[in-house]
Parts: sequence; structure tokens; C-alpha cells
Amino acid sequence: MSQLFVILATSLAILLIAYLTAISSKDLIRLLISLELMFGSVFLVVLPMFSLNPSTAFAIVVLTIFTSSSELLILITAIVLLDRTKRGVDMEKVSVGGEVM
Amino acid sequence: MNFATLMIEVIGAFAVLSAIGVLLTRDNLYAALYMSVTMLLISAIYAVYNVQQVVVLIAFVFVGAVGMITIAIAATYRYVPTRKVNIVWIAPVIIVFAVASYFYYKFATSNIETQGLNLAFERFSTDYALLIVFLFSLIILMMLSAIKLARRVEL
Repeated sequence: MSQLFVILATSLAILLIAYLTAISSKDLIRLLISLELMFGSVFLVVLPMFSLNPSTAFAIVVLTIFTSSSELLILITAIVLLDRTKRGVDMEKVSVGGEVM
Repeated sequence: MNFATLMIEVIGAFAVLSAIGVLLTRDNLYAALYMSVTMLLISAIYAVYNVQQVVVLIAFVFVGAVGMITIAIAATYRYVPTRKVNIVWIAPVIIVFAVASYFYYKFATSNIETQGLNLAFERFSTDYALLIVFLFSLIILMMLSAIKLARRVEL
């Protein structure tokens, strides 16, 4: 097995597990955790790019970290607001938007 | 198989196992801990290739800040929710993984060589100065928006 195959397969596995976690999550905190796992998968995908263009790859890593931090900030605010207004962080308490289960 | 490939395989396997732990555990606190372990193992893969700058960024910034805040949030809102892995979605996930892995195995046959990293990192601050300024502006804007949103809702 080549190193590229191992890294891409690991990244894909983590991404799919994160998708499964997001689908099966019943509260916003588990959703937040699954989103961060997806960012972990992105970090692994960027690794082979360091052999081709390290400067751009590092820029993508920095961009990913900033994006992840922004997402964390907004989702934490959403969790706090949902807990204040609905007295809980369950997905079922969100009544606006999304599909009707 | 050389030592680096073996290390990547072992660390990658543990990272996937840790990610499975996030999926299977019922407690959000343990899920956040497993997530942090996964991220640390991903940074360890970077360490195998001697990309130390990214190791520091992931281990200290991503795990140290983002991961710890997630653990704190999970501990604050700690309860055991009724969570169940949807079995219907497992079959498509396995099929997608099998197909993609087959093509990765067939076409992704090269090894990864990281060279000239120091020069690239030295040039980063000048080449991407505008990007850094925009990202800092984005974070400040997000923080102000979050504060405004949090204040708008009455207790």
C-alpha cells in the first residue's frame, strides 16, 4: 500500500464516520463534534499537497482552522440561544426549517 | 514497506478507531474526548512527515482551543441523549468507502515527499498577508455577531 492511499483512505473513513455521526445525532453538541471531525478529514486530505505546493497547502490549513473556529463560535452561540429559548439542545426542539421527520 | 508507511498505517488505524468511538459512545463528553484524540492522531501523521508547523497549529490551536471548548460545552450540557445510529445509512457508507478505496488503491500509488517546507513557510506571511488580514477580520466579525445575537435574546 502506498502512503497516498493510506492517507486518502483514512481521510475518507473519518469523513464518512463524521457524516454518520451527524445523521444520527439528536442534539447540537454531537453535531458540533461531527463537524469538527469533518475538518479533521480535511486536514488529512491537504497533507499530500505539501509535496507539491507547500505554501498553498499551508494557506489551506490556516484557512481551514479559521473556518472551523468561526463555525465553532456560531454553533456555540446557537447552542446557548437554543438552550435559553427552548430549555434544551435537542434537535427536536428546532421547529423552523429542515425536513419534517 | 518502509517505517514511515507503517507508522502512518498504525496511526491512521487508531484515528479511524477513535472516530468510530465518537460515533458509538452515548455520552457527549466522551465523544468530544474521542474527537480530540482523533485530531491529535491526525497531527501525529503530519509529524511523521516533519511538517512541524502544521503539527503545532493542529495540536495547540485546533485541539488546544477548539477541542477544549467543545469538551467544556459537552461537559456543561452533559446528559445522555437518545441517540441511535441509523442502520439504513451504514450500507451506502460502506459502498462509497469500498468504491473510493478501490480507486485510491488503483491510482494513488505514489509516496509523499515533503521538501522545501522551511522556504515555503518563510514566504507564507508575505505571499498570503491579505488572506491573513481577511481571516482575522472574519473572526472579529463573527465574534461581534455572536455577542450581538447572544444579547438580543432575553433571559
